[in-house]
Order: sequence, then C-alpha cells, then structure tokens
Amino acid sequence: MIRKSALWIVVSGILFSIILAGCNGEGESDSEGSGAEGQTEEINLNEEVQNDGEIIEDGSLTYGLVSDSPFEGILNSAFLAAAPDGQVVQFFDEALLAVNKDFEITNDGAATFEMSDDNKTITIQIKDNVNWHDGEPVKAEDLQFAYEVIGSPDYVGSHYGSLIQMVEGMDAYNSGEADEISGIEIIDEKTLSITYTEASPAILNGIWSTPLPKHYLGDISVPDIPSSKEVRENPIGFGPFKVDRIVAGESAQYSRNDDYWKGKPKLASITLKIVNPNTVLQSLENGEVDIAETFPTDQYPNAADGENYQIIGGINNSYTYLSFKLGHYDTEKKENVMDRPKLQNKDLRKAMGYALDMEQIAENFYHGLSFPATTLIVPFFEGYHDETIEGFPYNVEKAEELLDEAGYVDVDGDGYREDPDGEEFIINFLARSGSDTSEPMAKYFIQSWNDIGLNVELVDGRLHEFNSFNKMVDDDEQKVDVFISGWGVGTDVDPSGIYGRKMPYNNSRFVSEENDELLEAALSEEAFDTKRRKEIYNEWQAYMYEESPVIPILYSYKLLGVNNRVKDYSFDTTIFGTCEEVGVTEETAE
Amino acid sequence: MWKFVVRRILIMIPQLVVLSVLVFILAKVMPGDALSGLVETPGVDSSTIEDMRTNLGINDPVHVQYLNWIKGLSQGDLGTSYIHQRPVLELLEARLWNTVYLSAAILFLTYLIAIPLGITAGRFHDSLVDKLIVGYNYVTYATPLFIFALLMLFVFGFQLQWFPTGGSTDINLEPETFSYYMDKIYHLLLPALSGALLATVGTIQYLRNEIIDTKMKDFIKTAKSKGVPEAKIYSHHILRNSFLPIAAFLGYEITGLITGSIFLESIFSYPGIGQLFLQSISQRDFSVVTALVMVTGVATLIGTLLSDIILSLVDPRIRVE
Repeated sequence: MIRKSALWIVVSGILFSIILAGCNGEGESDSEGSGAEGQTEEINLNEEVQNDGEIIEDGSLTYGLVSDSPFEGILNSAFLAAAPDGQVVQFFDEALLAVNKDFEITNDGAATFEMSDDNKTITIQIKDNVNWHDGEPVKAEDLQFAYEVIGSPDYVGSHYGSLIQMVEGMDAYNSGEADEISGIEIIDEKTLSITYTEASPAILNGIWSTPLPKHYLGDISVPDIPSSKEVRENPIGFGPFKVDRIVAGESAQYSRNDDYWKGKPKLASITLKIVNPNTVLQSLENGEVDIAETFPTDQYPNAADGENYQIIGGINNSYTYLSFKLGHYDTEKKENVMDRPKLQNKDLRKAMGYALDMEQIAENFYHGLSFPATTLIVPFFEGYHDETIEGFPYNVEKAEELLDEAGYVDVDGDGYREDPDGEEFIINFLARSGSDTSEPMAKYFIQSWNDIGLNVELVDGRLHEFNSFNKMVDDDEQKVDVFISGWGVGTDVDPSGIYGRKMPYNNSRFVSEENDELLEAALSEEAFDTKRRKEIYNEWQAYMYEESPVIPILYSYKLLGVNNRVKDYSFDTTIFGTCEEVGVTEETAE
Repeated sequence: MWKFVVRRILIMIPQLVVLSVLVFILAKVMPGDALSGLVETPGVDSSTIEDMRTNLGINDPVHVQYLNWIKGLSQGDLGTSYIHQRPVLELLEARLWNTVYLSAAILFLTYLIAIPLGITAGRFHDSLVDKLIVGYNYVTYATPLFIFALLMLFVFGFQLQWFPTGGSTDINLEPETFSYYMDKIYHLLLPALSGALLATVGTIQYLRNEIIDTKMKDFIKTAKSKGVPEAKIYSHHILRNSFLPIAAFLGYEITGLITGSIFLESIFSYPGIGQLFLQSISQRDFSVVTALVMVTGVATLIGTLLSDIILSLVDPRIRVE
C-alpha cells in the first residue's frame, strides 16, 4: 500500500492540516474563537455516510478535491509526490496487493502472494481477469518494470526507499552495473517472485506492488516519464475508473471501467474538480460537489448543521508532538549523538508534559477535532496503538512534584525554578508561525510552563516560518531546547524512520540501546508473527512513554463533506481506495 | 525614434544581469529547498534524499549553480521544476495563457467601465453624476480585492448561481468547439468583472482630472468663443489630450497581464501564473520562482519601454532624443 502512503509524503500537506488548521479564509477566522467557546460536547463523527436509499444505476458523482492550488499533474504512482495528485490517481490506479486494517498485505487484491519458508522471497500471482484500461492484461513484467523505473539510476522521484533497496541486486542495478535486477524473477506471464537480501516483516507492510504499464510507458526514457503525455493527459491504470479527459491542474473526468477485476463499479462516471478551501462549504450546500476531501477543520463549526450534506471523518495518521533537543546529528558518522546535558532529566520532560492541558488545546484551538495523544503510535493503526498508556493528563501538582524531586527548585525567589545546581534555568522554545492560532497557542504553552515555575522563552522572541523552523530543527541549533512539530506517518506502522539511531528525522536525537533493540526486533524475523510484533511495539510505546524524549500532544480527525445522496462512502474508502462500491441514490445532488 | 528604442534596449541588458543575480541570490538565501518539504514515510532513509539533492545540483556551490542557470537561460532553458517534474518553460506555457486571458479580460472590462465614467465625471464635474462616480471611486479604492472577490463569488456564484464558481472550463465539453470557447469566456467573466470593478480607480481619476484641467485651458476657451459646438470640442480637443496618460499607462498594464492576479486566481481556483508563483515560493521550487521573477522582470522592462514608445508617438513634446 505504498501508493497510499505516498499521499502523505508532502509535509506541507500534513503539517498544514495539523498545525496550521485555521489559516484559511479571512472571513472564517472570526468565527473561530467564538464558535469554539462553550463547545464542550464530545464530537460525534460518523465514519460512514448515512443513507437508506437504493443506489441508482449508472449514477454520476462530482468529487471535490479541496486545495488552494491546482494539482501538479504527475499522475503516476512511481513518481507521485503530492497529495492532490494522489487523489486524482486513486480512481484509476491501485496496488496489486490489498491490505487489511493493520496495513498488512492480504490475498484479497488483484494479486495473491506467498512467502517462501525463509521469508526472503515473495511470489506474487496476478489474477487472470486483471487488465489495463486499454485491454492489455496486467503482466508480471509490468510490476518488474515498476521496480526497474524506480531503481533506475535516472529516477528522480522519492520512492526509492529502503525496502526497494533491499531487493537482491537492486544496488548493482541502481548504480548502473547490472542491466537487470537479479532478485526479481518472472515465472510466467502473470507470476513473479521478488527476493530480498534479508527477511523483514516490513515486506508485509510496505512492499511496492503497483505495476506500471510497460507496453504503454516502456518506450519513454525514465526521466521523461513524469512530463510525458502518457502520464499527464492520458494516464491508464487497472482501477475501477478510466480517465476520459484531464484539464491540467483543475479537473478530471472518469468513466466506469466495465472490465474492472472486482466487477462493474456502481457509478457510471466521476467528475473531479478542484475546490478552493474558502468556498468548499458553499459548494457542498448547493450540491456543486458531492464529496469534499478534505473538509477544512476550521470551518467545521459552520458546517455542523448542514441540511443536504453530512460531515464524516476518522482518525488521521498523524500527530503533533513536543520534542526535546537532546543531542545532535553527526553527519560524518550519519547517526544521532545524545550529548546535550540541558534536558536529559526525564522527570523534567514529563513535568513539561503534565503541565499542558491538552483537552483545552484540542477544544479551543481545534474545535474538538483533535484529542489528547498518548503514545507515539497513532490510533489510526488500531491493532498497534497501545490503549493502556494514559499519556500525560493535565496535572499541575504532579508536574510540580516531579520538578521538586528532580531538584529543580526556586532558590532565589524570583518565581522561576533554578536547575539542580542552583543556576538560572531558561528553556528556549521554538514555535512555528503560519496560522491564526499559532501565536495564542505558543503563548498558552509558555504560560502553562510558567505556571509550574519553568522559565520558558520563545527562540529569538518570536515565531518562525515553516522553512526556517525546519532548518533550525534539522541543524540542531543550540538556541533551540524544545519545539512543537508534527508527523504524518504513512501507512507503515514501523516508527524507526523517525526514531532510529541513524535517522536524521529523529530530531530529538534521542538514542539508546533499548530503543535500537526494540525497533530492530520489530523488523526481525520473529516479528513475522503479527502477535509478537504487536507485543514488541507495545513495549516500545511503553519505553518511549517512560523516557519521554518526545511527548505526543494531539491526534486529529480528518473530515470529509459528503452529500446525502451518496451511499457506501466512508472514511475507509479514502484509505483503502474502494471507490467501486460507492453509489448515489438520486439523479442530482440535493 | 529607432535610436531611442535601441538605446532603451541596450540599457536593459545590465538591468537584466543585476536582476538575475539578485533573484538568484535571494532565492538561495531562503531556508529550505524543494526536497526539505518531503517527510519520508518511515523506511526511506535520508541518504536517498541526499542523493537526490546531489543529482539535482542543490549541493553545488552557489556560483556554480548560478552559472549553470545563466547558461541554461541563455539557451532558453529555464530549468526543471522539481515539484512538477517538468521543464519550467512548459509549466509556464500551460499556465501563462489562462493568466493572459484573465488579465486581458480585466483590462478590457476596466476600460469599458472606466472610460465612459471618467469622461462623464470630467465633463459634468461637480454635478450629482460626478459625485456618484467619485463616490464609487472612493469605495472601490478602499475595498480590498480578496474580500470583494469572495463577496462576488458568494453572491453571483453561490447565491444567484449566475456564474460558475471555479476553474477555467467545464470538463464535459469537447475542446476546440464553439461551446467550449463560450464556456471559457463564461468562466472568465466573474473573476474578470471582480478585478475590473476595482481596477477602474486610476483610469477614472486620471481621465476626470485631465478633462477638467484641459477644459480650463486657453485654447478651449478660444474654441468656445469661436462658436465650436460643445460636442466637437470634447471629441476633438479635450479627449485627445486627456487620453495621453491613459495611453502611457497601457505599457504598465501589459506588464500586469503577465504578472497576473494572485488573489483572483486563488479565490476562483483559476490556474494561472500568480497562483503558481505563490505555491512555488512556499514549496521552495526555486527554478520556478527564479524563472517567474525573471519573466516578470523582463515584462516590466518591456512594458516600460512600450509606455515610453507609445507616449513619444502620441505626444511629440516629450520625445527623448
């Protein structure tokens, strides 16, 4: 399911939705403060649209892609980089292997698989009735071609990841030494096997199984593929809908693929068009779009009483976190070094967590569309998220107690605590600008920490813009002690990419042998047993909760606006791409 | 005349060089690059990103990057957009026309509204009509475009549903047919009108003031005393003179055609250059940003040149020799 995870790659997309939620129209921002106050009831979101009607035959639907800029138009899974393009692709293309709720591959997709006894080789068999939109069968060589494109020395996309690099012979192919990838073997027209250099359960989570039509793209040189007509104007796939026409950057017209391997999709046609976040509410109200993805959370208070549409949603695969700078990244050795003494005391870190009233933050800044986070594995991964960890519920007494015990007490009577040596103790807090709520939120954090006697100041006395914020975090600038940021985590539960010893994205720079061991164990052969793997991740979550180098603050909901005539559309549709089941119960939108 | 034009063009060369250095250095000083926006899903390691940086030349020293860029520029190659994965030139071409159509429509509508109003206000100045027109001018001068455009969209697009609310065309129409072009104009109308209604300020004010000024001049009094009909005085003597500043402004307006309208394009989801510019800055898509600033810079220089040429054609008094 890498294709889907690709939807989440662009950080601006993710961070804007978490952190900057609320930076849209000038008109809407006023209602924010007033709308949120006194709104204490639990948010009750349906995951699926409620509709008792009968699906009509040959209906058509208008899908609104909510974005303030045109989609880029790289409509090919191997080169896909931006979330809007992913939404255009989802209707006509898909991966061969389906996934379950834990995003592990199953045999329910367009292909089935079998692992070898040593768990190093996966054999993939494509079903006979799986055909490209132009009638050609989807062959084993098409999947091989996808690996050849991504592994090509001339490849310019961002999908050449560690799992693809783990395919036997990929290194030699990527450096141009070999003409073919030795680990990929075509057994017959519809079957191939992929051999990895080591056995890892990551294969079950993150294997690349989206083929590229070799008969269609094979003659184009790799660097030219993303700009070719075959990708931008007339892309083909084997998904439930065919692309009829694309108006660059603004709309797309699809018609039903009668030859779809799961059977005839219920809708006869889909029109996709870009909808500006400022006008999405009006577009839903007058039926101009049937589905709005993603509905901006800052407009939720205005949308809650819609008559002809419903707001549905589910838990996002992202979280906001408070991170403590504990070291730096050694670019020579390419690993994190934990060498900054200032915040090494974990009770101090925990106290800073207990000092924050995350419930209040979620309610007042996010209209209740976020809720306090507890662990570093989001509840989006239902099977892996450990519910028994309680996180850091607001508790000032406990925070003060922890600080007292750790020796952070106010010795000179200025109202702020000094460090255990009695020296002045100032924590520098880096916060990001960008939305109407950034400033009050940063102030709220500082106030909360002041309340437990910690002297916290903003780095440079102000907020920092997105790119300079990232640069300061990545470069481990000395003037940054703590910062708040967010992660979108894709569909692979493995957190080692952002918490591993070698990872530059591990921006707290926290390292420990136990951490290494747990993360490695979760990717080792013993973890092929899903139950064991879950145990290991539970241990890891508990360990990270105990150490608290990073404190998760908020999980959030993703919202979708859906017209009442739409049936069988849910939050899961957007994740698992099952748009062939969606139908409408009226000819025209209400 | 030719000497004048050639001299102006020669002066443009050092201006362009300075512009290119400035643009490039400023772009590079901004923190982050097109790849720093990528958050890798766990499993993709950072060396991949570093390799991509090296391949894209982001890791080269700045002066090497600048020379490469200038080399490409001189061969008409504006570079490749990382975010869009296609040559910048193609990208601009795809977006440029939408912006040109939109701006041409705005310009046309602006003159269509402003010239009659300006003439009326000037001819009957201090009358009730004049006061109304001046009042309209003050209101539009004080109204921010992004609010006004949203309001127009809300009232005429969503409430009354007279106009489409976004995009440049309806996807269901066969391209290159008559109804396709009519539909494009239909989509253009509301954003163009929103832009034009606020853009009239300058033209109305200039025209009104010029007419009032000219009206007081001696040669008009002479004409009047000679018994030349009022209508003829206006059409022959006053208007010709009063159009001078408007004509001079045309060159700058043409620059506006290319820079486009960021707010309008964004509010009406109209894919043009302005929107691309904003998006590229926030995503640090440097090749697009630098190319767009260069193109805009060149357009401004050409626009100024055009203004001077037009002015020297219509008004021999100020011809520079």
